[in-house]
Amino acid sequence: MKLTGPLERVLRVFLADPSARRYGYDLMKAARLPSGTLYPMLARLHDQGLVTSEWEPSSGDAGGRPPRKYYQLTGEGIRVARLELAQVADAAPRAVPGTARPLPGSAP
Amino acid sequence: MIRAPQTQRVAEHLIARACRHLPGEAGDERYREWAAELPAILADSDVGSGVRRSARALRYAAGISRCARRLGRAGARPRPQPSHSGRSGFPVLRVVVGVGIYGAVVALVVGLAAALHPPHRWLTVLLLPAAACFAAFCLADLARARQVRYLPKWGWAIACLIQIPLGGIMYLAAGRIPPPRPEPPAQP
Repeated sequence: MKLTGPLERVLRVFLADPSARRYGYDLMKAARLPSGTLYPMLARLHDQGLVTSEWEPSSGDAGGRPPRKYYQLTGEGIRVARLELAQVADAAPRAVPGTARPLPGSAP
Repeated sequence: MIRAPQTQRVAEHLIARACRHLPGEAGDERYREWAAELPAILADSDVGSGVRRSARALRYAAGISRCARRLGRAGARPRPQPSHSGRSGFPVLRVVVGVGIYGAVVALVVGLAAALHPPHRWLTVLLLPAAACFAAFCLADLARARQVRYLPKWGWAIACLIQIPLGGIMYLAAGRIPPPRPEPPAQP
């Protein structure tokens, strides 16, 4: 799995509360992603078994609104997402500027 | 609560069109999923004005369109041929309505031409692009159609081009096979 920026944002949103079921617009807003990016990604994660989806039971709550589809990370999805995000966090400090730069005047 | 029923209908229409790129069953399910998000967008209290909510809903539908196309290509299994269980006879009513629309268009053009004496150039400036747009719309729809009735595709293409707008109207009324898509859910 290649961790792109949008994917990272979606995984962070899911991991903020792994037990929460999120619907599409909720995810779009939380991850700040357009629908054209989010849904293909969800489909891919679903195919990889990292995300499950289920329909809201249509037993008319919420004032006649049509039933939504909710997404949630699977157990495997939570594991993979944590791993991927940890690797990003690991890699990040190495990019902090200043650590590898020679001090002014130190060059021979 | 739905605050912009027209926007919702337009967005639902766009989503329904987009879902045609997906094979039957999956397309139905995706339509239900994606259309069910619209009320949340149109009633989103975090977005300031109704206009911006509407714009967001339309952007959402446009994104869905791209998404469905991508998903359709990804899972490009041979699609089941549209079942013609309900293959009715010649759609008389639609053709009658089409001829009626054609008559109205002709009457409008003739009326405008007669009212403007001498005819103004802006009439042409207005009508030519409209005719071109309509022909382009019909040809685009024809190009995307998997199957058409009564004439081969190229036959309808010629009809659309040589008799604007009648050819196009006839194609839309008779030649086009309406997609087997469920009606958008009734307004609550």
